[in-house]
Amino acid sequence: MNGNYSGRLSIVIAGVLPLVGVAALPSAVAAPTSSAAATEIATSLRLSPLQYKHTIADIFGDSIKIEGDFEPVQPVQGMQAIGERTSNITDSGLEAYDEIARGVTAQVVDPRHRAELIHCKPLSEMGRDDACARSFFARVGPLLYRRPLTEDEVQDRVQAAGMIADRLHDFYSGIHLSLAEMLISPEFLFRYKRMEPDPAHPGQERMDPYDKATELSYFLWDTTPDPQLLDAARSGSLNTRAGLDKQVNRLIGSPRVADAVRAFFSDMLGFSGFEAVSKDANSFPRYTPAIIAEAQEQTLRTIVDLVVNRHGDYRDLFTTPHTFLTRDMAALYGVPLVDTTDNGQPQRWLPYTYPPGDPRAGILSEASFTELWSPSGRSSATGRGKALQEQLLCKQIPPPPPNVSFFVVNDTTNPNLKTARARLAEHRANPVCAGCHRLMDPLGLALENFDSAGEYRTEENGAPIDATGELGGHKFYGPQGLSKAVYDDPAATNCVAQRAFAFETGYMPPTKDARWQQIQQKFVASHYDVLELLRAIAESDLSYSPPEPNALTAANR
Amino acid sequence: MGRPCVVLTQGMQALRQDRLEPRLYKKCGVRTMKRDLMLSCAAMRRRCGLAPAVIAALSAIVSLAGYCAPASAETRGYVISWFATATNNPDWAVNCPEAAKDPKNRDFTEHMEPDGFGDKALVNGKPAPPLDYPDALTIDPDVEAVVGKYAYGFDLGGREADKFIDPETHQKVDDQLWRAVGCTQNFRMTPPAMPYLEGQAWTAGYADNAPAWTMQISGADLNKDGPVTVTLDRALSHLERDALGGFRSDVTYVIDPSLRSHNVLTGEIKNGVLWVKSGSLWMEGTLPWYLQVDLQDTHMRMRSEPGGDLQGYWGGYTDWHIWAYMYTSRCIVADCVGTYRSLEKLADYDPDPVTGKNRKISVTWRMEAMPAFLATVDGKIVAPALSAALGGKLQPSWLPTGPTVASDGDARTGTKGGATR
Repeated sequence: MNGNYSGRLSIVIAGVLPLVGVAALPSAVAAPTSSAAATEIATSLRLSPLQYKHTIADIFGDSIKIEGDFEPVQPVQGMQAIGERTSNITDSGLEAYDEIARGVTAQVVDPRHRAELIHCKPLSEMGRDDACARSFFARVGPLLYRRPLTEDEVQDRVQAAGMIADRLHDFYSGIHLSLAEMLISPEFLFRYKRMEPDPAHPGQERMDPYDKATELSYFLWDTTPDPQLLDAARSGSLNTRAGLDKQVNRLIGSPRVADAVRAFFSDMLGFSGFEAVSKDANSFPRYTPAIIAEAQEQTLRTIVDLVVNRHGDYRDLFTTPHTFLTRDMAALYGVPLVDTTDNGQPQRWLPYTYPPGDPRAGILSEASFTELWSPSGRSSATGRGKALQEQLLCKQIPPPPPNVSFFVVNDTTNPNLKTARARLAEHRANPVCAGCHRLMDPLGLALENFDSAGEYRTEENGAPIDATGELGGHKFYGPQGLSKAVYDDPAATNCVAQRAFAFETGYMPPTKDARWQQIQQKFVASHYDVLELLRAIAESDLSYSPPEPNALTAANR
Repeated sequence: MGRPCVVLTQGMQALRQDRLEPRLYKKCGVRTMKRDLMLSCAAMRRRCGLAPAVIAALSAIVSLAGYCAPASAETRGYVISWFATATNNPDWAVNCPEAAKDPKNRDFTEHMEPDGFGDKALVNGKPAPPLDYPDALTIDPDVEAVVGKYAYGFDLGGREADKFIDPETHQKVDDQLWRAVGCTQNFRMTPPAMPYLEGQAWTAGYADNAPAWTMQISGADLNKDGPVTVTLDRALSHLERDALGGFRSDVTYVIDPSLRSHNVLTGEIKNGVLWVKSGSLWMEGTLPWYLQVDLQDTHMRMRSEPGGDLQGYWGGYTDWHIWAYMYTSRCIVADCVGTYRSLEKLADYDPDPVTGKNRKISVTWRMEAMPAFLATVDGKIVAPALSAALGGKLQPSWLPTGPTVASDGDARTGTKGGATR
């Protein structure tokens, strides 16, 4: 992960120093440390962009804007969270972090925020005030690093702030730049699974309690641990069964669990891929920039409503007629939605229920799925089938062999192959392609009633669409048939459980481990209540144990 | 609240045009009604003390069908997505030979210049700005009138000498407004381009901000010839754009319960074209576009395009002062004074009993409408969209079955939910 990180970070910081006329500053970029005698870093996960935003908002307030683009992270094994563990920060990525950090800290010290966020007034704004700076870093530092700071760490920040303040004759510039350095420290950008000797069980290891608090918080709230959780880590209660259960209950009982559910399903459904999605406006004029965001929001609201508000059965996500729409989304789907919002006001999200038998029911028929897994100009039965297999059923589909021509599939103007079904049948005539396409196409073809922008259609190029599909030898027809087939497939519930574990830890679970099987049993017993799944994972020792080596290497293959 | 009553609807329209029988005014208390008050038929009966049969008779008298009428077998919803003065510019030189020789002649703002008509308007014997006092201009700006034979429109019974030939119907038609303005640069446009000033106001200000106009078409079977009812209203929200900058079909618009822009017209579909020839029309607009659109002796013809849109023309007599106000209120790149005087000169209807000058002018507007779901504020879908995007036909399950508004919960399912932002 960060073998080269410190070196590159030094370069970034060194680039700042001449600007402020300081030859060398005490660095916040030390190797990861812990309050306890950490012995081993088992894993490290970079904060996702959303986690970064949540964290900054929780520490400094909602009014601090995050400006700039984070370095994109490629999903690994279908999960951004695994990619956050396995990817390196590039030089440009580090520069992006630096720019974002300085944007944040400039706001923290600006006249609008400083009175609220810096709880002391310097003796003079024209120079250093170590006492005030110490007070600030002693308070903010543990929130940023999610653990107590060592005396050296505090002193380093105070010293750096003082040197800059002296040079620039500005106390707040010192705080600004010294704080910015904390925000590009691995201690802030990464969350670690550090193992330490377990005093209660000599010869065994346990997870550092602050790291445990951090993992719990990002898993169940998608943000930095709050003071109660840090207190539980400090007091040691988090290392007890009762203490852990108490915190898990508290976190899951909070409305903020919805943030984590949204983040988890955004990851599981591959929504980061929307950044690369575009549609041919001439063919799909209804696919506006607003639709890109609203399609994701529709699905996330549908999920939160069922999973969090109703404690529903996860499988019902595939068949539920209940969703939320804006007028724009309703127009895309060709259904009426009455919004009496005043003219010119933002469109509201309103609950909407499809009538029985409507092909739109369930998240597979929503634009967030049908749009995301289709290229610009046409639908893709293969892409949708692959996504369904990989993202939602955790089946691995091999990549296409090299030198395969996709011309037949892409040519939607062939008068003899008017539908995707016909084109794919031709493509599968190549035996090299047939094997894998057999796993994907029968699923995606059931969604062919939805074009690349997610609009409903009954014909393609004037030819009627045959939406017959097949999953595991079971044949069905259309989106409703597909949704029911996925509902009935045990792979769907197994997969969401594995993905939830990966969202927490950054690696897929050891499925043969008895502790994992216990988690799954609890999920089944809860009638596939996702919050109960999260609870079972959060309360399991498996989450706080070092991963099996092959769990980490599998993701790198 | 029940459906608004056709009598009241007509009352409001007539009130605007000073045509309502004074006794009915008084009896119904129309004078005291607030602008956006809507009465049910039952309330109308109570307030006016009228028997249902009387209300029905009054409805017949004003020759319009309305909400009190039995529901038609089929209703389709639309939203007006293009509306501007109809132009016809196949050959500029034929239409306007003088302007063709010198395109800059009489355009723009020369009449405000010192060497123009700046000193030719007199008020109480003193020079006055002609833009502020166009009636006080002492000379005729003599804006060239269209002399070409063709213009879109309807036969309103005007003077034979003023007739154009409609390029589509080949009928003799009246459109003196086009004759008055068609030789100015602003109108040297061909659809889909709008006349310059109208297009600028529509694009830059109106369409994305002002409430849209809605249209319901009802009939026994709209795929066949037969009588229809056309109901026009104003929506609560503006048009929605698509990715190409056009407007989106199949959006749901809530009809403004105010009766100000509520119009019910009767017509028929003949050979696939919807014709309307009845009554008057008044629609509220918003500056800098039309503040209002009014028509007397309303005529319409509209046909369905392959994608489900409607395209056609509305015509009749309009108050030329109101049209001129729309046009001259933003007097840029236009001979506003000249146009004003030209409209005054060519107005062809409704002479003022005192001055003898015509107060109205024959006009034709070109319009387009696209399929839209229309709903009332209580959440009832009153007209479904029927666009090509829906395969040209409604999914049976998507037919309106009841309220879908969900401000306090999902009325369709009874589930709690509530609107969220």
